[in-house]
Amino acid sequence: MTIYSLILATLTFGAMFSVLTLSLNLQYARGGMINFGTVAYFAAGAYAYAIFTQEPPSGLDQYLFGFDMPWYVGFLAAGVASLLFALLTGWPTLRLRGEYLALTTFAFAEVFHSVLLNERRIGNGSVGLSNVERPDPTTLGIDDTLGYAFAAMALMLVTAFVFNRLLKSPFGRAIDAVHDDEMAAQAVGKDDARIRLQVFIISAIPIGFAGALYAMITTLVAPSMFTAQVTFFVWIALVLAGEKTIIGAILGAMALVLFQEVVKGFPFETVRAAQLASSGEEIVTGILFILVLRLRPWEKLAKRGSA
Amino acid sequence: MTVFFQLMLTGLVTGSFLILATIGFSLTRRVEGFLNIAHPELLGVSAFTTWGLNVMLGWHIIPSAVVGIVFTAFVGLIIGRVVYDPIRTLGPAILLITSVGVHYVLGGSVDALVGTGIRSLDIPLAESYRFWGLRITNYQMLVVAFAALATISLALFLNKTPMGLAIRAMSANPELAASRGIDVKSTSRITWLISSGLAGLAGVMLAVVATLSTDIAFNQILQILAVAILAGLGSLYAVVAAGLIIGVAMDVSVFWIPAGYRPLVAFSVVILVLMFRPEGLAGKKSR
Amino acid sequence: MSDIILSVENVIMDFGGFRAVGGDHGLSFNVKRGGLLGLIGPNGAGKSTTFNLISGVLKPTKGRVAMDSVELSTLKAAEIAGHGLGRTFQTPRAFPSLSVIDNVMVGADHPEEGPIAALLGRWRAADAVLREKAEHALERVGLADRMNNPVANLSGGELRMLEIARQLNRNPRLLLLDEPTAGVDPSLQLKLAEILAQLHAEGTTLIVVEHNLAFLLDLADSIVVLQNGALLAEGDPDSIRRDPAVISAYLGADHET
Repeated sequence: MTIYSLILATLTFGAMFSVLTLSLNLQYARGGMINFGTVAYFAAGAYAYAIFTQEPPSGLDQYLFGFDMPWYVGFLAAGVASLLFALLTGWPTLRLRGEYLALTTFAFAEVFHSVLLNERRIGNGSVGLSNVERPDPTTLGIDDTLGYAFAAMALMLVTAFVFNRLLKSPFGRAIDAVHDDEMAAQAVGKDDARIRLQVFIISAIPIGFAGALYAMITTLVAPSMFTAQVTFFVWIALVLAGEKTIIGAILGAMALVLFQEVVKGFPFETVRAAQLASSGEEIVTGILFILVLRLRPWEKLAKRGSA
Repeated sequence: MTVFFQLMLTGLVTGSFLILATIGFSLTRRVEGFLNIAHPELLGVSAFTTWGLNVMLGWHIIPSAVVGIVFTAFVGLIIGRVVYDPIRTLGPAILLITSVGVHYVLGGSVDALVGTGIRSLDIPLAESYRFWGLRITNYQMLVVAFAALATISLALFLNKTPMGLAIRAMSANPELAASRGIDVKSTSRITWLISSGLAGLAGVMLAVVATLSTDIAFNQILQILAVAILAGLGSLYAVVAAGLIIGVAMDVSVFWIPAGYRPLVAFSVVILVLMFRPEGLAGKKSR
Repeated sequence: MSDIILSVENVIMDFGGFRAVGGDHGLSFNVKRGGLLGLIGPNGAGKSTTFNLISGVLKPTKGRVAMDSVELSTLKAAEIAGHGLGRTFQTPRAFPSLSVIDNVMVGADHPEEGPIAALLGRWRAADAVLREKAEHALERVGLADRMNNPVANLSGGELRMLEIARQLNRNPRLLLLDEPTAGVDPSLQLKLAEILAQLHAEGTTLIVVEHNLAFLLDLADSIVVLQNGALLAEGDPDSIRRDPAVISAYLGADHET
């Protein structure tokens, strides 16, 4: 693997996962909500894109729906799908706190995964949907890999921009107030339940788009791509570079993806050696995560910086 | 009709396994105050240690199992003391998030040492017994027996021994317990040992009745969560009841819905309980 | 517009087996529009609970609370606040993530506060206007020079004044003040009394819970005395001062005069 392809892969997938960490940043660091079901919005987006853009079933296909729409319709559908999923699962549960909200979001994501796996009529079950429609950047004169790297970075930048705009507004003030002291916020007329739901849904939409992008890049959607491991991955990415800042969320995702790509791309001699390396990567990541949570280096740096 | 009763019987076995897997989780939740989602990984640690000794080194299953359980108990203790106890004051949400990291480390370690692929223990084939048109294997009966044994022993321990009473005091109110002179540190240590040891026992049972793959431990997490949430913060008996309810519900549901959805029954329980009665069966609000 | 802005009717608050408010028949009293009502009583009389029942933090077990004939007991706390009710808390509650002036601004009813407005940037004009109002409020309480500081640097008394500023900015019709002088040194108390008198003169109805009877009895135009969750006495400050039942209720209970 060349340095160039390593950088591109890191940028593409790093930017894509940054969208997820940015969303967690909004939900957790600012909104105080622990969401352990992030992968479900990602999957909803990916599957929606695939279903809307593929051809109706024929021959041995087991899935029921295929609307054969152009890619931009599929892309929009992806955002709507994750919005709806967030609305459906958020509305009854957001009054739960901390660990309980974490559990329900986690359970919903596992339910969704289970449905995708078992309901062959939605997406061919464990086999998944292949040959997903993939718009071609070369029609614009850009190299394919580079084109998708740009697309991912564009999505990341737009998401960061939108979230930042949101946070710097009176709505952002309200979010912070509700997070700081719910009772006092209510006493000045802030409807905390509605604000939380709004944050939850708004932060889910870009994840849907990221899911569509993922489907485009890999041309495949299958349940095995959307397990709790993805949720845990983005949580670790969020915390590693400081969960409070937007730049931290982006850097954390980039760094973790880089680490993974380096390990993946290393020319190992045996399958066993490659397995050992990827396990080693998990262990190191886990340890770093535990250390960062305990030592909170970013907060200390921020305090020293402002002092 | 026989099919239905057979499913209830297997449900009893599943429920017993869940009880074993969850008591330790519930204990940590009550005493240490957080949901440790790395707990199921300990089942994997125990299962594979036992496998390693039994298959790779050729030991008889019983010493392999014993060493596996004891080893797991100590792994849990070390993690508890090194990782969780120092950050206890940061609150249950942070501890829950930290356990994601522990899950990565334990999962990665097991993956690294064992590699992929399916394994099974080197033990005699299961013998089935038939009665009233139902069948059950000796190993399945073993799971039920151990679950009963563990529950009764733990109940006796918690009610009759000084250390057990100390644990109960700590789970009710740690600050009060500390001010009454209870040695919080050693109570905490014993709790980690017991809960991890029980996880170890559950892991061995898993290895005995099922085939092992490296992700098998994590697959149990939803079921364990379901039992713990349904049981609530209350007594051991609530865990037993919850375990049996969910075990039976999961297996009996196969009567009506495809087997692949079996875990979904567990997840749905989690969601429904948290939405409508977060205190679970036991009924106590969390502190 | 009727004479009465707030009516508390036969309100009972039970926590399990314990009756915090209500006595035998429930607690009832009316608050005159534009008045300054003092709510007093020994510790444990149920004063803060009554505030919580009015502002919606608690829902009464029985009875109702109505403001301008809108029944509050069925509304959420945020909705009640939206109807023109403000309150401060026993321990001042500030938002540590926000600066001093943002703490004040967040209290206001911002016309463009939703996420859509945020995305479209439509809030800037209204925000500038509200910011000026907030600055005025901070000037009135003497915190204008700390406008952009983090809240962490403020003392207890200053936090109290910040809460007051937030309510000044909101301009509620009915303002509940829970022990406003607690933790405030005497020089600042004078300023506080001034501000409360100004609010009273401007027509805001005030209900003040206080242990500092000297502070309160000069300001208030009527008093309600609670004991063990029930109404002990009601009337103007002078007759309450002399009421033997009130005096004996206070003897042996801690209070500052």
